[in-house]
Amino acid sequence: MCFGCLFMFVIPIYIEAGICGFESPAAQYTELGVSLDELLIKHPDATFIGIASGSSMQEVGIFEGDLLVVDRAEHAKDGDVIVANLNGLFVCKLLDKTNARLLSASPVYQPVNITPSDEFQLEGVVSLSIRMHRQSPELLSCMP
Amino acid sequence: MYALVDAVAFYASAEKVFDPAIRSKPVVVLTNNDGCVCAVCPIARRLNIPKFGPYFKVKQLLEQNNVVVRSSNYELYANLSDRMMSVIGRFCDTQHIYSIDESFLHFSGYENVVKDWHTYGHLIRRTVWRETKLPVGVGFGPTPTLAKAANHAAKKLTGFDGVAVINDEASRRAILQRMDCQDVWGIGKRLAKKLKIMNINTAWQLAQQNPKTMRRAFSVVVERTVSELNGLVCLNWDDVRQDKREIYSTRSFGERIYESTALKTALINHVTIVGKKLRAQKSLTKQLYIFASSSSHEDVFYKKSYMYQFSMPTNDTCVMANAVSEVFEKIYQPGVRFYKCGVGALELTAEQFQQSDLFSPQQDNPKLMGCLDAINTRYGKGMLGLASSKLNDRWHMNRDFLSPQYTTRWRDIPKIKCD
Repeated sequence: MCFGCLFMFVIPIYIEAGICGFESPAAQYTELGVSLDELLIKHPDATFIGIASGSSMQEVGIFEGDLLVVDRAEHAKDGDVIVANLNGLFVCKLLDKTNARLLSASPVYQPVNITPSDEFQLEGVVSLSIRMHRQSPELLSCMP
Repeated sequence: MYALVDAVAFYASAEKVFDPAIRSKPVVVLTNNDGCVCAVCPIARRLNIPKFGPYFKVKQLLEQNNVVVRSSNYELYANLSDRMMSVIGRFCDTQHIYSIDESFLHFSGYENVVKDWHTYGHLIRRTVWRETKLPVGVGFGPTPTLAKAANHAAKKLTGFDGVAVINDEASRRAILQRMDCQDVWGIGKRLAKKLKIMNINTAWQLAQQNPKTMRRAFSVVVERTVSELNGLVCLNWDDVRQDKREIYSTRSFGERIYESTALKTALINHVTIVGKKLRAQKSLTKQLYIFASSSSHEDVFYKKSYMYQFSMPTNDTCVMANAVSEVFEKIYQPGVRFYKCGVGALELTAEQFQQSDLFSPQQDNPKLMGCLDAINTRYGKGMLGLASSKLNDRWHMNRDFLSPQYTTRWRDIPKIKCD
């Protein structure tokens, strides 16, 4: 599978100063380059991308509007940043399996105890998050 | 050993993958302009919601039970199908993807690698669930037909937990005896009715028949099915995988159509789809079947169809669109409430065997079509097309309960709460 635009091919095309004549020798190599998918996504079939909202995870560097890359194949350990289905909502928290709790990175937010009456499913591990330092028009419309 | 792995109520399950709010709710998916229920999730099945029924008949029942209703989100299903198939493919070196949600695996030389098929089946199930959040059923058998039977047992018969294995006489008998012959792969309802007259009711009874007699009474397909039920492999993927010999694109309209532009636009869009499919499998068509009709429920049923014969086989969208324009006046009639239309490419030949004709010059422009396909692959379906395919958008299908395209469009990616 492919994450469409996340496939970032760096295309080595040189600007040719408007002079007609010899074609750039680089033209033949335009398909080469590095792919961000390849570098960042270990399990493409098990990975999805979501967008973060809220401030409870700022202490681990996840801010409103950041992209979260969620890997469902990765094994979740205590302390991992994870995404879970908690009572019908996708939430991003720190995992505390030992005490059956979800922790926020910010001390302002109380830990959430998971009780048997909660609907809870671990969705995956947040293997990385991405911050846009310039707003992407594509993503603007998903902001809350 | 063969395995058939398929998703449980695929469309309905796919709707739940990125919508945690409906994970534990009953969900049905509609198809065909939201006219018909095509998938019912297990929770909804327990409420006795019938599958393949018209939507209007069950609408009230769905509302009473707070059933979540969705339109078919093909973009999402195709993407999730790719992921699911790729995960399943890791478990075997020979995979045959049979449909959007069914995949056969052929295990040859795995006897010493896989000790217990039941355990292996559960490993497949667990892994697919974990990595894609899609529930699958797994059936193992010594032939594809028996694997399909085991898969049926795994999902539908009590006493199975999503995995079933036929690997000896006892397990084969136990499953086939509890299976209606209509549920056997390749039999179906109509054939099952005839079999019932002959007092053949269960899959086990079908397996007891003489294959040669069945061939005489029905067809070579039934003969093979009987042999496969007895453990003799008769199916070959190459038979199944052959290029399509006919390519159709037809659809009913969301609402009835009166204007000629709307009908023509729809036909040109169908031609566009057929042309693309022809080029993808490197086929040419000699004949184009073009039709339009009103609904059969109308007082006066109207249907007009034309068989257009090309002087030279073609797969060029422009050439086919010209054919539509030529016959369009004969098909369209003012005042008719058009309900359905479509085109079909018949009598296909392979591009590579194309012979040129001294008296009819080739009209196709393969370079232009190659460019068209390349642009649409790169920038998205329908980015570039014939102007005549964009004159009117009334022909589009109704998808009133459509979920977001979570994995294929940036603005639709799932929201994750950090609060």
